[in-house]
This record gives sequence, C-alpha cells and structure tokens, in this order.
Amino acid sequence: MSPQYWEDLQIGARRDLGHYTFTEDEIIRFGRKYDPQPFHVDPEAAKNSIFGGLIASGWHTAAIWMKLAIAERANSKGKSPLLRAGVSPGYEDMRWLKPVRPGMTLKFSSEICGKVELRSRPEMGIVLSRNEARDEKGALVFHFTGKGFVQRRPKA
Amino acid sequence: MSSILYFEDFHLGRTFECGPYAVTKEEIVEFASEFDPQPHHLDEEAAKHSMLGGLAASGWHVCAMTMRMFADRMIPVMAARGGSGSREARWVKPVRPGDVLRVEATVVDTKQSRGRPDIGHVVFECRVYNQKELVALVFMTPVIATRSAA
Repeated sequence: MSPQYWEDLQIGARRDLGHYTFTEDEIIRFGRKYDPQPFHVDPEAAKNSIFGGLIASGWHTAAIWMKLAIAERANSKGKSPLLRAGVSPGYEDMRWLKPVRPGMTLKFSSEICGKVELRSRPEMGIVLSRNEARDEKGALVFHFTGKGFVQRRPKA
Repeated sequence: MSSILYFEDFHLGRTFECGPYAVTKEEIVEFASEFDPQPHHLDEEAAKHSMLGGLAASGWHVCAMTMRMFADRMIPVMAARGGSGSREARWVKPVRPGDVLRVEATVVDTKQSRGRPDIGHVVFECRVYNQKELVALVFMTPVIATRSAA
C-alpha cells in the first residue's frame, strides 16, 4: 500500500460508505451501555416520550459512521480517495436531525471538504470531511465535520 | 418533585460533577472491534508505533463513556428531552487502559425555544479529566430541557 500524504487528498473527493440497518436489540444494547435515557433502552417508556418510540443514541449513529468508514477504507485496498485512517483531533457541528428507529436503514457518506496546514507541526496537516447519514427517502438524518491528521509529503 | 431541575434552574456557570468511569483494556478493545477497528485501538504493539504512542480508546468510545457519566448524573434530576447534537469535541489526550475518568459539565449557554414555549436548550461544556487531572476530552453539547410549568 503506497503511503497517503496530505497533498494527495483532494477537496471534493466523495464516497458512499454503504448502508446500515439499525435493529431494536442493538439500539437497546448500546443504550444500556452508554446512553441509558428511557427512549434509548425501554420501548414502552419510549412510547410516552417526545419521540413516540425507541430511537438510537446519537453516539450509536456516530459509531456506525466510523465502522463503515473503516470498512470502506479496508475494502478499497488503499485506493480510496478519502482519508485512510488515523488519529483525529476532534469534530465540529454534529447534528442529530431525525430520530433513528429500529428497522431504519441509513446510507452513510463522506466527502473531503477542507485541508488545513499546521504551523506547529509542519510534517502534519489536517483534512476536514463532511460526513452524513440519510434515510431511505434521502432526507438528512445525521451529519458532522470530521478532522484527521495526515502526514505531509516529505520534502525531496 | 422539587429536586427536578427545569430549564430555568440551569444558570450560566452551574457545574455538575459526573463519574467516575474506570477504563479497561477489555472495554477499549471490545468497543474498537465493533465500531473503530484501527490498530492503535486494538493492538498494544501496533499502537506503540502510532501517533498515540500506545493503546488508546477510540475517540467515539470516549464520547460514549462521557455520555454515560453525564446520563447517570443528570437523568435522575433533569427534566431533559434528549440532545440534538454536539457542537464540537476536542480529543486532547489519549485515554488509556487503567485511566479513571470524571466529567465536569458546566452550563455555558441557555436559550429558550422560539417555536416551543415549553422547552429550552441548555448547552453544557463537558470537560473530561483523567486521574492525573489532565483534560482528555472537551465537548460542547446542547440538551433540550423542559421549562418549569410556573
């Protein structure tokens, strides 16, 4: 696998990351472990919540985005135009716009939307990505702006 | 019922202590295996040679653990209706096996809903500290709170 440098990544490069169907069991398992609000863990209590039924934790949706992003990078055998993998300093503007219910299938994607040089670390750069999940009708359900550290191409 | 906190009770600067959460290697590897299978979250030897310098939890796992600490503290006392997102997170320090985390959740902004007089948004800045009192994660997250009926 050839090395991937900050200079190689192009703004506008976009990939579908695939689909994922959320099941009730998984939603409850994640909720019990990490986000035990009644509408994430208890289908009966969830009926009386503002969501009117069980919904996935927003952190669960984010974790599934990560899972599919890693799978896409592995499947592309180093040919993905996206950031391959690595370490991130954080994210911005994460929004959970629509509830994710059991049986829903979401379509995830990632697009490179910016590149930042690092004065403090000239050997590294940051790549920004606009990441989304949409429902079966194409409506936006989830998005955030991700950030990843990438090596700069060594100066010859 | 006077112990329930409504939108009006979340004054700017009010801080809630949450946690602790003991981080184990087993849990780091379990979360990463399911959601973030990168070598620096799975394998100690590979992690030594990564930018993280050793095995560390997925950033998404750190967010999830933070959510758990926040939920355990706030669900019993807050008239909350869930969150709509997370404005920003900074993964400042790696979270390692054996770390013990705690959270200081401070109210940094409040806003009444324009369209819905019965709710408001309370923005918390959650600072996650490890046992050395170093900040591992900072995130800003708005929570929807019911307004007092009064």
